[in-house]
Amino acid sequence: MRLNLIYIQVIILLCLSSFAIKTDAVDNVSVTDIQLLTQKNTFQAGDTITLQFSTTESITPLMYCTNSYGSTLIKPSNKDNKLYYRLPQNLSHKIGSLYWKLLNDTTHINGEIKIIPKTQAVKMETYIGPPSIEAGGTDYTMLVVIPTDELDNPLPEHTSVTAKHQFLNEISIDSIQTKNLIAYKTINSKDESGRMLVSSESVNINSKEFTINVLPAIPKSFTISAEQPHNYADGNQQTVFSTSILKDKYGNIVSDGTFVTFSITTSEGTVLKTYGTTIKGIAQARMIHPDHQAQWHIKAYVAGMAESNTIDLNFQQVIKDFNVEFSKHNRTITVGPLQSFMNQMIPDGLQVKLFIYKNNELLEQLNKTSVDGYVRFNLKPNIVQNDSYDFIIKTAGIEQSFNTKTLW
Amino acid sequence: MVSYNKNILRVIVIASYIIIITLIIYGISALLAYLNTGADRSTILHTEIQKIDQYLPKVTWAPLSNEGRPIDSENLNKIENNYLDAWYVKHIAYKTNTTAGIKDYYTDSARLNLFNFIELNAAQNISIESTTLEHHPSLEFFSEDGQLAVITDKDVIEYKRIFQNELLVLETTEISTYKIILLLEDGFWRIRHLVKESTENYDPIATAISTKNLNIQGINYYPQATPWDMFGEAFSADIITKDFKTIKDAGLNSVRIFIPYEDFGKADVDAEKLEKLKHTLDAAQANHLGVVVTLFDFYGDYSIIDWTLNMRHAETIVTALKDHKAIVAWDIKNEPNLDFKSRGKDMVVAWLKNMVQLVKSKDQNHPVTIGWSNTESASILKDKVDFVSFHYYEDLELLQDAIKTMKAEIPNKTIVLGEFGMSSYNGFWKPFGNSDEDQANYHKKAQEIIATNNLQYMSWTLYDFENIPKNVVGKLPWRKDAQKQFGFIDKNGAKKLAFKYISGQ
Repeated sequence: MRLNLIYIQVIILLCLSSFAIKTDAVDNVSVTDIQLLTQKNTFQAGDTITLQFSTTESITPLMYCTNSYGSTLIKPSNKDNKLYYRLPQNLSHKIGSLYWKLLNDTTHINGEIKIIPKTQAVKMETYIGPPSIEAGGTDYTMLVVIPTDELDNPLPEHTSVTAKHQFLNEISIDSIQTKNLIAYKTINSKDESGRMLVSSESVNINSKEFTINVLPAIPKSFTISAEQPHNYADGNQQTVFSTSILKDKYGNIVSDGTFVTFSITTSEGTVLKTYGTTIKGIAQARMIHPDHQAQWHIKAYVAGMAESNTIDLNFQQVIKDFNVEFSKHNRTITVGPLQSFMNQMIPDGLQVKLFIYKNNELLEQLNKTSVDGYVRFNLKPNIVQNDSYDFIIKTAGIEQSFNTKTLW
Repeated sequence: MVSYNKNILRVIVIASYIIIITLIIYGISALLAYLNTGADRSTILHTEIQKIDQYLPKVTWAPLSNEGRPIDSENLNKIENNYLDAWYVKHIAYKTNTTAGIKDYYTDSARLNLFNFIELNAAQNISIESTTLEHHPSLEFFSEDGQLAVITDKDVIEYKRIFQNELLVLETTEISTYKIILLLEDGFWRIRHLVKESTENYDPIATAISTKNLNIQGINYYPQATPWDMFGEAFSADIITKDFKTIKDAGLNSVRIFIPYEDFGKADVDAEKLEKLKHTLDAAQANHLGVVVTLFDFYGDYSIIDWTLNMRHAETIVTALKDHKAIVAWDIKNEPNLDFKSRGKDMVVAWLKNMVQLVKSKDQNHPVTIGWSNTESASILKDKVDFVSFHYYEDLELLQDAIKTMKAEIPNKTIVLGEFGMSSYNGFWKPFGNSDEDQANYHKKAQEIIATNNLQYMSWTLYDFENIPKNVVGKLPWRKDAQKQFGFIDKNGAKKLAFKYISGQ
């Protein structure tokens, strides 16, 4: 009986231990027995990618997948103890590294597959800039091309791209290669200004046309001239200043709208300025004649870039003398006739100044402009009281004095 | 008498009339004022977006040697900001499966790829919480017109938690290299092409720091007047120096102090507070005391999008102080296991693991620990920390067994009893509480257990406190009052009976 008990105990123990071994074995199976069957680890974008695993059970563990843009989980189908993970298009259409991890219970077996772009470009993503450059050969623009396949993936390194550009009657074709997903080419200007047309090509796919403006460089020194109806200082006519055709050092006419400043220094040292912008290289500006004899020195500048020679202009005095008449208790002063170089009445608008002094002290200054060759000053009693005064009248750079005139 | 009453009535009626009218007018004017406010004009520009720190992974640019036009720092900064924002909106988009913000940082064709993922994941109820911890970009190309840039971002460390049907199915850290083409559109640098060149699993092994020479016999320290606000306005280096001298004279060799996360300026650490912390360490050094610095006090978010901010905080403090002679060890967080319930254990543990890794990568000389609040949690991350510390406020009778269990679980790490103590509070809220004698007996017994087990220790705490901020133990008076009397020195500065047993000597 006692022996029997021991037997039973031994049998129970054996059973238990075999259970223990059995469960251990089951664990081991689930740990090791999922195996990747898919040998290929490089695919082309757009391929249907199915990762296949062998297993011994009808389990369906999820698979974690991550690529350039995001991550997701994939459910497998289990057919005859084989697991099939079909990658969604989000993953199979984009190039780069695709990392996966199997979410079975204990070990996460993982791996990486590479997805490469299609060999055929369908689009030449082209960027060019700056859109305008300076003539002369030192300035350049840059063409950047990203050849992409039909799934919007950039093509691999060292894809050949042809960069083409046309300028005047020359067409250049350069072969460049992609590096870091892009291909680029710097295009230098020539000595001439004009329009440059740029395009690119890779494996028979062409980009659209791009235009680059090659603008003239900065202007060289230039000359100026003046055109006058006459050289009298009549305070009425205008002198027109013109530049020669402004050109850069390569002979290109500067861009329209180049701003030219004409600086006039008068014999008294005053500086007058007038401005013009170029059209077809020529800038013009105008200045009204002085009303008295003067000498002008004129020089023009394109600020910070170029300057002209200096020209001189002389203006002759037109009014040699003028009459002054006191009337109505000396309260009306008539200046005139003011006559120009052919004794014609001077055009309206000549300025006449009247200074009223008392004991060498300036009491009043009155300014008037001529009308029909005359200027009339009316001195009102409430402004200029009855007394005797000294008067000075100035016009066209000449003056006349009248001492101790009595007003009543 | 009657007219007197009537007058009172009149006053009340008139006064209430005035009050009601005032309230009505105030209400109407507030409503009108509200309706008159429109969008802030400054929002037309995109100036305010970058102003808030919401995502600050470590970015280390390779020396510039790009093709094309040489870049200036302003443009490079702009590219970096927009590039990181692109990552940030992507993290948010995949977490919530919404598309907000994506169109600002991805071009028309690039954003379709993200939209496809969002659609796919939303359909299967997959959401992904992720962040990137490190970027090592190098500028490959910058176009002549400054409108196109190519960068290679090497060794991007991405941490992700993948959920399906709100259940965590995978936590993964990967290290990847990306090539990115960015275009300047509408003032934003937008991602045009993004190509991941390689990915690997990332599991860094930080070198363990030997704790052979570690010999902590210390105390948790707050100044008496400003508990839980040590580096505030009332900071006084003199008081701290005096207290440290008291601690040293009592036969102890170290103190444990706490760095409040928000108070220290979160990601952008307040230089003034850091200076105060340095003064504290100087005071400790002058008194030959070592300091265990506990980071992230009063922090309880742990959310993944917050990680980079936490990391910048820890990085600044650790880098600034790692060469200070007084530093003994870094305690990553005080009692993080108390947040398991509200934030989820896996989330908190993942955060701690990452933070241990970060601190160890910045300071290779000082050991790192986590101040678990009980013995049961002590073995969490035992392989990541250099020594294990736990806090014990339960029955001392059970401590011996708990230590035994712990030592069995953690056979080859130094174990430090980081906090223990007893309140001598005995009053209105707890009439049968402990007396000063009970407290003294407690510490006597604790020191015996410590000696028997050859433990290192830091008791709680030097002083009885007058004011306890309500975010420490809440505002219930029975909790607050008990917390006030854990000290070895009472509120009048007199040594309590327990002071005799403050150290093993």
